[in-house]
Amino acid sequence: MSIARFSPFELLLLKSRSQVDTATLLLLAWVLVHRQHVSEGQRRRRLAQVTAQFRHGHELGPVMSIAHSQDLQAIQLAAEVVRKECGSERSLSVIHQAITVATDDGELSLANHYILRFLADLLTVAPMTLNTLFKELTGCPLATPEDPSRDVYWQTHDPDYHARKAREAEAAEQQHQQANARAEQQQRKKDQRYQQKQQKQQEKQQRQEQARQAREQEQQRQRERQQEQERQRQQQQREQAEREQRRSRQHDSRQQDYRQQEHSNRQQRPSPPPPDRTTRALSVLGLTPGATRIEVRHAYRRMAQLHHPDRFYSESEHQVALASARFQRIKNAYDYLMQTY
Amino acid sequence: MRDLYQRLAVSPEANDQEISQAVASCLHSALRQDAEAVFAVAERRDTYDTLHHTVSDIGKLRARLGLSHGAHWQGDVANDFSLPPDFAISRHDELVDRVSHAVSLYNRWRRWRGPWLLIAVFATGGGIGIALGLALCLGLLPM
Repeated sequence: MSIARFSPFELLLLKSRSQVDTATLLLLAWVLVHRQHVSEGQRRRRLAQVTAQFRHGHELGPVMSIAHSQDLQAIQLAAEVVRKECGSERSLSVIHQAITVATDDGELSLANHYILRFLADLLTVAPMTLNTLFKELTGCPLATPEDPSRDVYWQTHDPDYHARKAREAEAAEQQHQQANARAEQQQRKKDQRYQQKQQKQQEKQQRQEQARQAREQEQQRQRERQQEQERQRQQQQREQAEREQRRSRQHDSRQQDYRQQEHSNRQQRPSPPPPDRTTRALSVLGLTPGATRIEVRHAYRRMAQLHHPDRFYSESEHQVALASARFQRIKNAYDYLMQTY
Repeated sequence: MRDLYQRLAVSPEANDQEISQAVASCLHSALRQDAEAVFAVAERRDTYDTLHHTVSDIGKLRARLGLSHGAHWQGDVANDFSLPPDFAISRHDELVDRVSHAVSLYNRWRRWRGPWLLIAVFATGGGIGIALGLALCLGLLPM
């Protein structure tokens, strides 16, 4: 046996001349409380209008205040009383009143969708009956309630916010692109500077090469001149001792052949040194010169996974921009190596 | 109408930070998108919370009244907001019990002629007090 005091609604129910009417009154007040865009005075007037022929015999004020406080126990008690006392006709009239109270002119609020359905279940009104009653009273069929727990609901009910968000996203995207473009430009500048340096080096090398070649040619010319002189001397000797040294002539010619072969060997250029850009690209991928194509590919995959901008998506715009610059450098190095290897 | 709090495994009273953490760690991408849409803006969360409160009240009422399987209680709402029946006794029976208890107390009171009994108790109490006071005065005077 509980020692709790009687709650306001219990007292109201005990004092009431008709318990069913009081309980119905509370349920209708509950529906009214969940109607939107209605003032408190309008609610009271509407409740008084609908329940004009009720025989409860007490004020409406306390009922409205109980409904406002959302007292679950009071509502449960009212629901039990209504279920116990209402026959099928009375249930239909209660549902009728609930629908009129819930949708006078405006639409049914979301909470009232669920409350009306609860009342219909409480009073064992079938869905078909509820639908026809609703259509007769309001002129439009009872729709399924919209779902504010979904994105779609907010896109239709709050389009301003979405438009603003889209604009912000666009601005952020533009900023991001600008940052990317800046990073690319810097990269390009660096590349250009690097290429210029390389070109200078190559020119220097070519100049050195040309100088060396010129020197070699000079030497060769001198040697040829010496040979010529020697040959002339030999010829003179030969002329002098033509008859005496006929056999030695063959030997001389062989010697000449040998020398010519030697010259041609010396004229071959030395192989060019490995270009600097390749070693740089390899070091970007964390490899040493002499790495194979497969190693390059593996290194590229590893580095790309490590520095992909999507990995930094959750951190900040700045991090993403840095990562995309790094990723671009890695990708450039890989592309270059794939072309040259 | 789904119970996003239940689906994200956070309490409805959780603050924004806890909620955003739960949303970020949610693996279901569609649910994450919906939760972001609802919880990103404070007004939307307020709207959702009021409806959530009402619907969970209705879920409780249905559980207590044995209406968890009603014809009008289907789909997502029924899945998320149905509670197991708690064995709370019917409010009406409780009211009847309390009224009958109050009535029996009243009857007993009437039967023992409560007011007279009360007057007798007061009278005896007063008499004893006066007697004690007199005895004290008489006892103190010789000393």
